[in-house]
Amino acid sequence: MDDIDPVGLAVPFFILAIVLELLLGRLGWAQARYEPKDTFTSLAMGLGSSVAGLATAGVIFAASLWVYQHRLFDIPMTAVWAWVMIFLLEDKTYYWFHRLSHERRFWWASHVNHHTSQHYNLSTALRQTWTGGVAGTWLLWLPLSLIGFPPAMVAIQKGISLVYQFWIHTEAIGRMPRWFEAVFNTPSHHRVHHARNPRYLDRNYAGILIIWDRMFGTFQSELESEPCRYGVVKNLATFNPIRVAFHEWAAIGGDLLRAKSLREAALYVFGAPGWSPDGSRETSHQIRARWAAGQGPEQVSPAAAEATAPTPDARSGSPA
Amino acid sequence: MDKAFLIQFTGSMAAVAVLVGLAAWARIGRPSPGLDEARARDLLAEDFPDRQVDQLWIAREGRGALARSGACALVLIQVGDGYAARRLSWCQASSAMFRNGQLDIRLGEVAAPRAVLAFDNWPPKDLAA
Repeated sequence: MDDIDPVGLAVPFFILAIVLELLLGRLGWAQARYEPKDTFTSLAMGLGSSVAGLATAGVIFAASLWVYQHRLFDIPMTAVWAWVMIFLLEDKTYYWFHRLSHERRFWWASHVNHHTSQHYNLSTALRQTWTGGVAGTWLLWLPLSLIGFPPAMVAIQKGISLVYQFWIHTEAIGRMPRWFEAVFNTPSHHRVHHARNPRYLDRNYAGILIIWDRMFGTFQSELESEPCRYGVVKNLATFNPIRVAFHEWAAIGGDLLRAKSLREAALYVFGAPGWSPDGSRETSHQIRARWAAGQGPEQVSPAAAEATAPTPDARSGSPA
Repeated sequence: MDKAFLIQFTGSMAAVAVLVGLAAWARIGRPSPGLDEARARDLLAEDFPDRQVDQLWIAREGRGALARSGACALVLIQVGDGYAARRLSWCQASSAMFRNGQLDIRLGEVAAPRAVLAFDNWPPKDLAA
């Protein structure tokens, strides 16, 4: 069981699913938009991410193993309850990793490339980071090994989460059944996460279960009245994968050279993305606040958002 | 280098090439007929909701636009079937190099190195003083 790699096993499925989405889009049987250069960038980022991951895999594995040697409990990999526990704990860890990756610039610099496509299709799912190992977000998963979950078990669950999140990167599926939308992350919820509309910024961080967003106040349903516009607040004007992978790191470097104090330097690196000492840029929080100030309260409240949400299948483009 | 890795990497590159080829064949990008004034204003309003557009120039075939907004210039750059927008000083835009019918604005960003817009002449004849 130690050798199971869910992501590696799923790669042929990823390729076939993209081919299927392309064909359904071509035939007009499903909503799917593909731009060739954008597709190339997404897939090149995915391939590069696999290669970059090899550079830090050894360190991450060694750290996990070291922590596991100091574990608090012995948790058997063969017990069903242990898998239920790791499923819930890993998914909650993913939520906070993902939230941190959006709300603090150092980790946003690593994660931003996943959001740089102005399209939302299955190839976007593969637009993965090249610098995640260096950014060190893997440290967030170490407490699971400290509790006593074997590193292989944590790695398998992380892989399952990544594979789950592949299929939700599509416009071809409208809404899932209401009970499913209530509990699980879905294409509809994740479209919101990839949108740059002020209302949708920094919402829906979930991996597999959307319940964490509902619990921690970051949930936003997709509104029929407000179609998602995909990308980042300042969209990129390049398809070059190298620029996509490193642009935010370069921007941090430029800001550090301009910093007038240690405090400024620290906030440029660890403040919210968009922070600036003179307020000449905007954070997501400020953009949302400005947008909310221009709306009536009934347009902003989550209750109103739920009330105006499209009914199941309202935007479904799935084949009849 | 590990032989298995090389085989896997080569296979992955081939898969990328096939998928990009399929995406080109499918022709299912967003319809992008080129910008007209209304569309350009809409896009600028999305990115710069607090800024008023004083003057607007659409590049040839609608492949981008440049607007004057007070002391600022607002640029729309075509990126595939979408657009990226940037704000810079009007001085920077007005003094950008214009050669062979193309205005080449250096934006100085890794994420957006330059904006190249095709105009018949620059500065435009209708530029307000």
